[in-house]
Amino acid sequence: MEYILTILVMISIFVILSASYNLVIGYGGLATVAHPIFYALGAYTTGLLSVHTDLWPPLCLLAGGLVAVVASVLLAASALRVSGDYLLIASLGFQLGLLQVIRNFEFTGGPGGLSGIPGTITGAARTPAYLLICGGLAVLTVAFVAWIVRGPYGRAITAMRDEELAFSTLGRNAMSMKIAIFAIGCGIAGISGGLYAYYFQYVSPEQFDVLQSAALLTMVVLGGMGTSMGPVVGAAILLAVPQAITFLELPPNIMAPMQGIIFTTLVLAFMFLRPAGLVGGAGRGKLPAALAGHGTEAP
Amino acid sequence: MTEILRVEAMYKRFGGIVVADNIHLTIAAGEILGLIGPNGAGKTSLFNLISGVVRPDAGRIYLQGTPIDGQPLYRRARTGIARTWQNMLLFTTMSVLENLLIAPRAYPGESIFRLLLAPAGVRAAEEEARTRAMQILARMDLTSAANAMVTDLPFGHQKLIGLARTLMNDGALLLLDEPMAGVEGAAYETMQRVVREEAASGRAVCVVEHNVSFIKDLCTTAIFMANGKILESGSVEKLLGSKVLTDLYFGT
Repeated sequence: MEYILTILVMISIFVILSASYNLVIGYGGLATVAHPIFYALGAYTTGLLSVHTDLWPPLCLLAGGLVAVVASVLLAASALRVSGDYLLIASLGFQLGLLQVIRNFEFTGGPGGLSGIPGTITGAARTPAYLLICGGLAVLTVAFVAWIVRGPYGRAITAMRDEELAFSTLGRNAMSMKIAIFAIGCGIAGISGGLYAYYFQYVSPEQFDVLQSAALLTMVVLGGMGTSMGPVVGAAILLAVPQAITFLELPPNIMAPMQGIIFTTLVLAFMFLRPAGLVGGAGRGKLPAALAGHGTEAP
Repeated sequence: MTEILRVEAMYKRFGGIVVADNIHLTIAAGEILGLIGPNGAGKTSLFNLISGVVRPDAGRIYLQGTPIDGQPLYRRARTGIARTWQNMLLFTTMSVLENLLIAPRAYPGESIFRLLLAPAGVRAAEEEARTRAMQILARMDLTSAANAMVTDLPFGHQKLIGLARTLMNDGALLLLDEPMAGVEGAAYETMQRVVREEAASGRAVCVVEHNVSFIKDLCTTAIFMANGKILESGSVEKLLGSKVLTDLYFGT
């Protein structure tokens, strides 16, 4: 039972993470892979605060979100001047660079990771309580993203993604809109990082590298980019399937690369068969803007 | 007549190519100025310079007396420059109505804070924009297309939506880049009628067009450009009779 609840907590945290990533890449069309680094910043900030101070845990979570927002604005203000493939490279550089910094500092625990994060909630009800908190925040995040992209604000995001030049010529500041979307998405990622730190009481730099970017992208693509329920489905499947195959009792030398093989196979299969994802409508045949490659001619 | 746009001594070069060479022009309220010239004359570049897509190397631009050359693209639009594009640049994943609703210069609904704190004001602004959009569509006989996807519309109607979007934007100056290219039949008549009505209501209009008969029917004045220079300007009759123009267009 404890095992299943733990997986559900994990899924909740990843629903928050992938829903916020979906806001940035799926709705905003901003092709970044650096999302895990904001997750990391939240996790480390929250972890360090709770190791070294007696700050009220929700405030530590918010602080984690805030650090992620500040970092995202720093990245956005420089990197969002370029778009498409260039943004992808810039964000990757940002992620790997910052990860190196975390690995090389003493106070972050270095390559060994940050341990000794207090349990905060203890006793038999610990995991159910975390499930309630993380699950509740996951529902809130999905609802919040759905609310943002509905109505006039969502219309503006779509217009910017469709034709940035026309959008600007109608008097809209595309740059500030991109920074806002980026900051909101990354701030939420920071908070989910804090939740992770509290629940697992241990954070290591390996969890936030490019493999995590790939996993997150897979969740969003598989579930359906630019759909509000897509990330939920994607996160649930991609976390549950690797757990499920452990019951097949395959030999370890097959098990080890299995996860990578599953991710790769799923991404390839979905790009060919159902580019709009499981939840995304099959109609219109439109590829998510971030992946479709914009054909906007230079004026 | 009130002057809407004034361009003074504008100069722009891309590498070895001068696309705007000492351009001076003014457009008054109610005027429909035609911009003609062979391909590569610098007509669209002039639009890009005025609307702020590219920055000029020298020269000044005034909109209703306010200097706007220091403003970025989106600020000039807010000051009152509305333009269409040769290739339309419509929002292709949105409906006709949504394409228009995105265009007003005041848009309280696009602020998360206002959405949260003043939802009633947002709703009122949305409702007002919707009413205006439907009025504009009615003027173009496109009421029934309001909820269609723009990409499902015939080409001529898409061009009209491009114009409708600038009317929603409600700038004092309309820059229309080849509004008639590929448009025929009823849509052609509608385009002409609406542009004429807009000028009569006090907007300044500038049209880049290859279709000489459109220019002749519609424009009060015209400018003839080649190689980034204004070669002739004045009344349309005078221009079409000019030897420089006939030489360049039809050879000697």
